[in-house]
Amino acid sequence: MKPIKYVLLIFSGLLFFISCEKELPTLLSYDSYVFSSTDQAGGTWKPILMGSGDEIIIAAPAAVASSEYLQELSDLKQAIAQMSGADRHAVEYWSDNSAIRWNEIALELIAKYNLIPGPNADGTYTLPNPNNPSGPPAFPFAHPPYAVRALAYMSVAQFDGLISAWHYKYTYNRPAPFHQDSDINYAYTDNTIPSYPSDGAVIAVASKKILTAMFPLEAEYLAAKEAEHLRSLLLSGGYVQSDIDAGKQIGEEVATKALARAATDGMKNAQAPKAVSDSLAAAAFARFGWQWINQELPQRPVGLTPLYGKVKMWNVPNVELTRPIPPPNLDSPEYLADVEILKDYADNVTEERRRIANFWQDGLGTYTPPGHWNEFTKEFIVKYKLNPLRSARTFAYLNMAMMDGGISCWDAKYYYHYPRPIQTIEGFKTIAGTPNFPSYTSGHSVFSAAGAEVLAYIFPQESALVKGWAKEAALSRVYGGIHWTFDAFIGTDQGIDVAQYTIGVAAVDGAD
Amino acid sequence: MSKIKCLCTALLVVLSCYAKLWAQTPSDAIMMEARQACLLLDYNQGSFDQYWEGTLLRENQTIATVKRNAVMPMVAVGILDKLNFYVGAPFIKTESSEPNGGKFAGASGFQDLLVALKYRIINKVTDKGTFSVLATVGFSTPVTNYLPDYMPYSLGLGAPELSYRAIAQYKWKSGLYLRGAGAYLWRGYSEAEREYYYNNGSYYTPWMDVPNAITIEGIVGFWLWNNSIQLELNYLGSKSTSGDDIRPYNAAQPTNDIEMDRVGLLAHYYFSKIKGLGVVAYHNRVINGRNTAKINTTGVGVTYFFNYLKKQN
Repeated sequence: MKPIKYVLLIFSGLLFFISCEKELPTLLSYDSYVFSSTDQAGGTWKPILMGSGDEIIIAAPAAVASSEYLQELSDLKQAIAQMSGADRHAVEYWSDNSAIRWNEIALELIAKYNLIPGPNADGTYTLPNPNNPSGPPAFPFAHPPYAVRALAYMSVAQFDGLISAWHYKYTYNRPAPFHQDSDINYAYTDNTIPSYPSDGAVIAVASKKILTAMFPLEAEYLAAKEAEHLRSLLLSGGYVQSDIDAGKQIGEEVATKALARAATDGMKNAQAPKAVSDSLAAAAFARFGWQWINQELPQRPVGLTPLYGKVKMWNVPNVELTRPIPPPNLDSPEYLADVEILKDYADNVTEERRRIANFWQDGLGTYTPPGHWNEFTKEFIVKYKLNPLRSARTFAYLNMAMMDGGISCWDAKYYYHYPRPIQTIEGFKTIAGTPNFPSYTSGHSVFSAAGAEVLAYIFPQESALVKGWAKEAALSRVYGGIHWTFDAFIGTDQGIDVAQYTIGVAAVDGAD
Repeated sequence: MSKIKCLCTALLVVLSCYAKLWAQTPSDAIMMEARQACLLLDYNQGSFDQYWEGTLLRENQTIATVKRNAVMPMVAVGILDKLNFYVGAPFIKTESSEPNGGKFAGASGFQDLLVALKYRIINKVTDKGTFSVLATVGFSTPVTNYLPDYMPYSLGLGAPELSYRAIAQYKWKSGLYLRGAGAYLWRGYSEAEREYYYNNGSYYTPWMDVPNAITIEGIVGFWLWNNSIQLELNYLGSKSTSGDDIRPYNAAQPTNDIEMDRVGLLAHYYFSKIKGLGVVAYHNRVINGRNTAKINTTGVGVTYFFNYLKKQN
């Protein structure tokens, strides 16, 4: 063989080696597991939106010896016998802890809709309009305050719904179909939790209803997800149709309660008109001698949700209880020292700082910082083998604390109206995008610290880890060039403070 | 005489590989003989103030006019008369014009190391002209840890790339030539510094699948002034084989489906008094596209040809 052929052979071999394809994960993979507890008293836990789990009333189930139930068993066996490949895939996908999947669906929609409206040709901006969701721009703009609110309502509805479901499960103790008939195989690990009503059906219906209200353009997509989920519950062998129907009823009622709260929580006024926004800036200027000014071209006339600080909180009685101390004056040594720190970081972007700035950026087009903490939570839920009720509880307290954190943070942002680094440092450049709202305190810092506190409460083994993450997330904004160090440090303290109110509620809900 | 002059042009063939999205893409049918080498130092400056978001051509004052300057040193070596080897690595600097609404820092650094082999399969000489067919295999991969997920300032796509290119040319005795080339570009994965991104759905990984692409090129050129100057008109069409669109008013990302049509001019002059020295100048502009910049690029370069081994007989 001529030398050239050797060269080509070696080259082609190298290329083949390099050409291998990767499998890129689009969801959390986990196997069905034995729950760390079944929480037979879960029906007595204190829900968020109602007095107790039995506030929603469902009919007593038919006895397992009744002809009605036997007919359901027979129908179920027939349905399982006719399962398609797609059905099997759906059963595997949804699992017996479906709060994880609905959380992923929520994060996906957040990322899909987390797009800031651009300017019109004449330099004006059009805001997303819930009365004309198609836009353009499409409704909603799923920015972090919007995202955490959507997650909070979905998670709270799931939690309350499952408390109700648990109440009836252990009131009626109707065993699952695969315990009744040995011809039926259960698709998941048997946790011997009674099947009436189906907890998965509560999750499916409540999640779909909340997310449809939050993402109206996705109604069709969400209805298809719900239908697939409900069908997978039946085909799993874990539930007969009446188990599922009872769960659907609870899901429907609890979501109605959640959406009633959402309709009046003040969110619809959060994106204040320009006159209100200007008056907030003027008030800060009169009080402190500074005001934040949007630096975009064309300039945005109003910051993001100036009145989000007035939205009804979950567990903090009054937002001002959690308002931080004022930030430093723009001529103070503390401020001037921060200018030097930021310039130094901008001039010396190390690999580590860049990595941290990007890892925690969770900016436009992503699932936002609250979404990132939900993602961590899913991994802990699987790691610690939580049952559906405890999973929903974890998401509920996590997202309530983060939403309260966001409200507290926005109160500080628009009360203090503090400028961003690009506004006050001449010629300053950043490696992260500067958001359209005042600097003090950092939203990432507050969201992350609040989330970490709740996770540390629920998963004490992970306390040091998650609190370390929250501090890194806070600093990431300074490394990105878009926040002052005091925005981050005081924001972290603020998040910790806000979370204590939620943890106080969790501590007496009956679960611990 | 003219043969020696031609040799350095061969270097420009592989510029297409480093160019990725925004630089020039000439390709060539010229081979260096064994023991010959050529050095190229190229400088080019590109800028754009419009880009295609999907198929919508738009401006964006957040980034204003994006400038992209590159310096590309490259070496070509004749291993055999029929086999040439190329290696090069561009240094790139990007930034926005002032004022801009985003206040983003630009980026700079070495981008990807490129190596390529070109093999001449057919070289048929008749009294009317010469017909040649060549094949190029190239490989490029990032040499620094530049962040590909930092559009539009990122230095490159951040993924390894394999290019398989076939080139056919007919050159008449008059100096006129026509050339066509087609390439398949296999791209690997680029690594972002985040754990999640959206690509028509959620991806829970820092790895982004950079779409493969096909390119076609058409060139008409001729030699003038006793073969001391070569002029070319060129066209490049490039199309990703998969990928997503840039979302409204959102940043581009390496997963995007990129298409473009680009036209350009190139002139290469060989000094008669300084043996082996040449200068090249070119300009090209993207005239149509999808998820890409409407960028105009102008470049100049110096080429120097020499024998790296004395002929033995």
